[in-house]
Amino acid sequence: MSGWWFIGSLGEALFFATVFLIGVFLSAILISWQLMSQSTQPLKIGYGFWLFLGVCLSFSVLGIVGFWYRVLKVVTSDEHREVLAQRGIIPEPLSGPQQPKRTSHAPSIPDVKRFTDSPGARLAYRLPSQIPENGALVALGIFAMAWNAMIAVFLVIAAQNYLRFEIPWQLLLLLIPGIYVAIRSAQLFFRSFIRTLGIGSTTVEIEALPLVPGGEYRLEIVQYGRLVIKKIAVRLECEEESTYHFGTDLRTERQTVFSTEIASHGRDRIDWGYPLRMECRFSVPEDAMHSFQSKHNAVQWKIVVNGEANRWPLYSRSFPVLVYPQPGMSRPAAAS
Amino acid sequence: MIRLIGLQPTYMPGDTLEFEYRVANVDRGSIVAVECSVCWLTEGKGTEDLGVHFFQRLAGDSLAAIDWSIAQKISCPLPISPLSYEGKLLKISWCVRVRFFLNDGTELMAQQPFYVGTITREV
Repeated sequence: MSGWWFIGSLGEALFFATVFLIGVFLSAILISWQLMSQSTQPLKIGYGFWLFLGVCLSFSVLGIVGFWYRVLKVVTSDEHREVLAQRGIIPEPLSGPQQPKRTSHAPSIPDVKRFTDSPGARLAYRLPSQIPENGALVALGIFAMAWNAMIAVFLVIAAQNYLRFEIPWQLLLLLIPGIYVAIRSAQLFFRSFIRTLGIGSTTVEIEALPLVPGGEYRLEIVQYGRLVIKKIAVRLECEEESTYHFGTDLRTERQTVFSTEIASHGRDRIDWGYPLRMECRFSVPEDAMHSFQSKHNAVQWKIVVNGEANRWPLYSRSFPVLVYPQPGMSRPAAAS
Repeated sequence: MIRLIGLQPTYMPGDTLEFEYRVANVDRGSIVAVECSVCWLTEGKGTEDLGVHFFQRLAGDSLAAIDWSIAQKISCPLPISPLSYEGKLLKISWCVRVRFFLNDGTELMAQQPFYVGTITREV
């Protein structure tokens, strides 16, 4: 706790206290002027009044939350703050093992219900898919739609001016690169969309969840679509994920720490109504770390399907699974 | 000072962790509060996360009733997760922490690490 830490904490607390006071002061002035004294009405009760009141109240809320966050950071230890966050500010007996808010058999492991809410057709569960390209496709679609709409509006304005025999040179100069971006974004979106449609969906079913280290499990992979597959490989992977602040950015880094091929299939043709079905068995390593999830760090296990098809780019689809600690873990002989 | 009574390097999930702590060379009257916790924390590339499994805060009357000439014993059952882990981007470690808050604003902290489970290396 250096002098800078002291000054920084005090400064932040004072800043948020000031923001809170400004919010309360302005809210009080606005309400008293508007409602108490009919002679002085700076704003009519309408959008302006509610907007100004909203800004004042947001100042108050921001100030009070920021102030108490800073104060709690100074007057309580990390552990005490964590307990308060779990239990709330209302005091309870502060001793004994902490009970997490969510009722879970394994603390800091994601809830298994999220993985088991979809029954499979042949095996017990159909795994939820995690396809990174889908997020990019949606983002690209939203961008292309918004950009094209904006360009369409500017085109209408330019056309109206032209019909009035006024040539809007500045607008035309802006429209040339704008139309290029609109065409390119639409092209990219439809190319990605056709790729997603053409390759078809992949489903993975598993016989049991959660997995445990040392356990052996049956898996079924079904690849739909109409294409000639060159190779399709299924892997069991474990990935670590860490989120951290880098300056003002929030960055996430992922690293695969375990990867093993559990099945593969060579050249084959699939068609609508005749999907490719693969069945395999795999086992989780005895010394595997269980799945783990905290605010900024995670250990995630997943089934990854990598495919290569004629006339299509390589594709990869992930299906997260849950690994629990081994039940009845016994003490090793060396340690006893 | 914190001492793990079990004196074992590794605890298994569900084992009972027994430990004791004492304070020396501190005026007993100057102690305002004592916090004792069993917690796990992550280290590595990501922002540090903390999970508190056991927490006890002594202050006021409950603190006055304590005889500091003898060690304070605490026992608590350990959960089944998370296990101690040393990976490439993150490390999960368990520890017992005791904090003493003195009336002049000073904070004394002692920490004793221990392992839970036997997965202490990357898979």
